Amino acid sequence: MRLTFGDTRLLALAAGAIAVGVVLFLNASRKQRKRKKLPYKDESDTVYVVQIPRGKKVPSPSPFPIKLETYLRIAKIPYENVFARKFSSKGKIPWIRHRGKDVPDSQFAIEYLNEQFNVDLEAHLTKEERAMSRAFLKMVEENLYWALACYRFIHDDVRKADYPSVIPTWALLLFGRRIKKYAWGQGMGRHSVEEIFHITKLDFEAISDYLGDKKFLFGDKPCVADCAVFGMLVQVVFNQTYSPHNALIKNEFPNLERFCWTMRNAFWPDWDQILAA
Amino acid sequence: MGILLSSKKPTFDDTSNTVFLVQIPRGRKVPSVSPFPLKLETYLRMAKIPHESVISNALSPKGKTPWIHHRGRDIADSQFCIEYLNKEFGVNIDEHLTTEQQAISRAILKMVEENFYWVLVCYRWVYSDPQNAGFAQKLPSWLLYLISKRVKGYANGQGMGRHTPDEVFHIGKLDLQALSDYLGDKKFFFGDKPCVTDCSVFGMLAQLVLNQTEAPLYALIQSEFPNLERFCLTMRDTYWPDWNDVLKPVAAAT
Repeated sequence: MRLTFGDTRLLALAAGAIAVGVVLFLNASRKQRKRKKLPYKDESDTVYVVQIPRGKKVPSPSPFPIKLETYLRIAKIPYENVFARKFSSKGKIPWIRHRGKDVPDSQFAIEYLNEQFNVDLEAHLTKEERAMSRAFLKMVEENLYWALACYRFIHDDVRKADYPSVIPTWALLLFGRRIKKYAWGQGMGRHSVEEIFHITKLDFEAISDYLGDKKFLFGDKPCVADCAVFGMLVQVVFNQTYSPHNALIKNEFPNLERFCWTMRNAFWPDWDQILAA
Repeated sequence: MGILLSSKKPTFDDTSNTVFLVQIPRGRKVPSVSPFPLKLETYLRMAKIPHESVISNALSPKGKTPWIHHRGRDIADSQFCIEYLNKEFGVNIDEHLTTEQQAISRAILKMVEENFYWVLVCYRWVYSDPQNAGFAQKLPSWLLYLISKRVKGYANGQGMGRHTPDEVFHIGKLDLQALSDYLGDKKFFFGDKPCVTDCSVFGMLAQLVLNQTEAPLYALIQSEFPNLERFCLTMRDTYWPDWNDVLKPVAAAT
């Protein structure tokens, strides 16, 4: 078979692409090996939090690691971050490892840690307030989350959302396609852009109206719901500041921004150092 | 098979002010085996909006059910329907709530519809035999299998489907506890007058208290959260005095 000039060019291109691919792969493997290894069995009390690497504007472009880390800081539980793209047994991230035991899902992790460390951030709440705390937690994590996810991954350009550079664009876009599929099944994905914005606004309004002038949702001491709200709103107030949601908070619900600053100053005094690292 | 009604879009009288509520066929023990038609119909009765049920499997423009048709317009999603109807008919069954109560009301609504709903879905479609869901007639196994598979995929994407049955039960218990603790001794969630959230909670809990009474979550309600059962019966007796009449044609057909 005689190769034409065109065939040769194609072969050279293919060889070049393969070479580049091999180099990138080897480089990534080297970086992976250099990254902190997760202790398999550690008898210390340290809680290892496995989460995706830091953003540049926010400690995490995802709400759940921020919720979890904020809780750990409030509860003064010794912890160490492990920045990796290692997913839990449930296929998600963040998750924790403590004394060799893996606990996926931020809420199950918190329940586990409450038991292990004899912590209850809700001890000061009345029975009724605990009920409301759960309701707000669920509204934020099971409703507002999807509204904001649809905005970030479907309506807007996900590359603007402060993901760390170690996560390549193609991975973000692939994840976005998955979110679109999940959102369709969950329900939020079936609404129009305007309808989703409307739903977001009603959720913001509910949190804002309930918060009022209070320092935290239920007074002067924060609870888990505050961590969840903070993790979610941080994405609007400090991360996607160009979004219409940010403008909405500034114009109509300024106490939500005030709340984010309060949480950040109280529990993340090292915010700037973390982002500069 | 009567249950496999045509999915062809029904025709409506667009000259009348009647709200046509398109919903799946009545259940054997509850006016709907789905929480959302029950929520919507209870709201229509509460707000005294003239309406007519149209039993059909036709799906809304968003690919779901129930939906409404009013003066030539199709509106999908129970909550958007309620917002539309509030505006069209100048009603607001939430108007007696303070600003703070409205906020709490929304949080409870969302907890029930976006979290507890998936607990029920996992129980009905994944952990137990969907044939027990209270349908008017025995549905073909292949249809239930297909629906089950799709629902399992949705639950996995939403998140609930990734937990174990014990974890899902635990999540359900915490939601029920929150509902029970907030309701307390009150007649409705915010006192003596009900609101949209009461309709939603009723639509959801009726699936356990009045429909799938074999479910472990119902046993939990009976033993630990009896005020939730009391609430369901109050809602039923107040807004569905014709409950048995609504179910009668179903009982006759089966």
